[in-house]
Amino acid sequence: MDINDMKQMIEEKLQHTYLDKYIKKPKIDEEKLLILTAIINNTNLPDIKKKQYIITTMLVQIALDTHDLVSNTNGSDGKKPKQLTVLAGDYYSGLYYFLLSEIEDFRMIEILASAIKEINEYKMKIYYREPQSIHEFFRNVKKVESTLVLYVADFLQQAKMKNISEEWLFVNKLIQEKNQVRAVGFSPLFEDWLHEAPKENYNSLLFKVETIIQEKIVDMKNYFSNGTLSRSSFTIFTTPLVKDILTKETSAVEEG
Amino acid sequence: MKLAKTYGYLKKDLDQIEEALNKVIQAEHPVLREASTQLLRAGGKRIRPVFVLLTGQLGNYDLERIKTVAVSLELIHMASLVHDDVIDDADLRRGKPTVKHIYDNRVAMYTGDYIFASALEHIASIKIPNTHRVLSKAMVELVVGEIEQIKDKYNWDQNLRNYLRRIKRKTALLIATSCKLGAITAELPENQANRLYQYGYYIGMSYQIIDDILDFTSTVKELGKPSGNDLLQGNVTLPVLFAMQNESFNSFVKETFTNPEKVNHNDMNTLIEMLKKTDAIKNSYHVSNLYLKKALKALEPLPDSKAKHTLQDIAKFIGNRRS
Repeated sequence: MDINDMKQMIEEKLQHTYLDKYIKKPKIDEEKLLILTAIINNTNLPDIKKKQYIITTMLVQIALDTHDLVSNTNGSDGKKPKQLTVLAGDYYSGLYYFLLSEIEDFRMIEILASAIKEINEYKMKIYYREPQSIHEFFRNVKKVESTLVLYVADFLQQAKMKNISEEWLFVNKLIQEKNQVRAVGFSPLFEDWLHEAPKENYNSLLFKVETIIQEKIVDMKNYFSNGTLSRSSFTIFTTPLVKDILTKETSAVEEG
Repeated sequence: MKLAKTYGYLKKDLDQIEEALNKVIQAEHPVLREASTQLLRAGGKRIRPVFVLLTGQLGNYDLERIKTVAVSLELIHMASLVHDDVIDDADLRRGKPTVKHIYDNRVAMYTGDYIFASALEHIASIKIPNTHRVLSKAMVELVVGEIEQIKDKYNWDQNLRNYLRRIKRKTALLIATSCKLGAITAELPENQANRLYQYGYYIGMSYQIIDDILDFTSTVKELGKPSGNDLLQGNVTLPVLFAMQNESFNSFVKETFTNPEKVNHNDMNTLIEMLKKTDAIKNSYHVSNLYLKKALKALEPLPDSKAKHTLQDIAKFIGNRRS
């Protein structure tokens, strides 16, 4: 299953002339797509089914990500983009249900719906700034990032892939947020924690984030080398994209 | 007479649906749980579950299965309302504060997504392929309809066809789907299920047209929101389309909405009064009645039963609705 082909197929499903005119094209989380493809490729499902599972799971992810963009205020260009962002998320959710209904896959409809429910529970915990410690905060972030993929892995009986997928998605999120802070000096996600920890600032938080990234990368490299994963699932983690991130992050942390 | 009286004998089953609705959306997070049940507590006619029950009674009525479908449909409707209040920036719904107003947009988004997922998780236990095909298609169409509505906002030159297509997707589709899903779940033959879909579609069209009329003729207390709110939001409804045929209304509305942000209470009152002086309300009721007649006609070939009579009574009630 080629990642670029999958990405193109997802983009085709997302296409909507009017939405495309007023709101940004939804971002396809390539790392999530990679992990998901790795998990699904490790099954004996027919190719057509594999594609359908990847597309529908990614549609759910994109729907959730899109709704995260709905702010509490109108932007400078009025209320229309906000209104259409709400509807875009609903549209992608509807598509996931529609596509799985077409192939009469009731169990997958249920799996993805259960994951959506659980993710929203974790999102609420973060939004209401409930974590009492930074570890708890990161635990919730990890759950939001990985629950969808873990539900699919469970459903497809790919338990061996769960741990590495969870860690990889978590590290990836931390890298994304860290890069955002470096670029614009701000991360809405980190703000949720900083608001509750007055002694913390971006410098001290980023230091902790870097440390976690470094630890997790070492863990993952060990995981790859101990042969827990099958050859086919390992292949996905050696794609240029993943290798590039692993190398860059390792050297960035080493350079301090 | 109240609408609920026409189907009073369904109370026991409707109570069970109410109980199931409440049970299905019990989130673990206290705010998510509170927000999810907020709209449920505000009440409502539960018209979609009523249609599922009634059309289900025309066939092999298995309450557990029918209940699952009815609950899921109502939850999908509720999820869309929670998100609609973000879209419309609405503080009140059914006279009660909205989730968006009590909490904020973000919580409303999470709540809507949670309710929607609860609905799908719930209905996944129904293993009838057609149920999911019909429902999922309707859901996508429903959103497309809402996107169209935003596209058509403040477009004073749109035609009747635009309006009818919009209200079909906005209202009629989910009512038609409710009727068809009740029929499919009760294993009615396809031709009967399609007739019931038609009935629901026509009833939905008529219902929405009357809703659009009431937006101008009802009081704030009756509506739970200000009169003329649809127009204020830029929604060109049937009464407005008819009124636009009057030259002075036409030019006044276009002039008033040159800058929609600046339209005030007095402007709205003037517009409402001007509209009422045209034939717009009378003509709109006429169109609504045409749909009602079609709804009743769709029912005619179905075998006689108590449920069929109730569906007929509901159609008549909707036709006479004035508040």
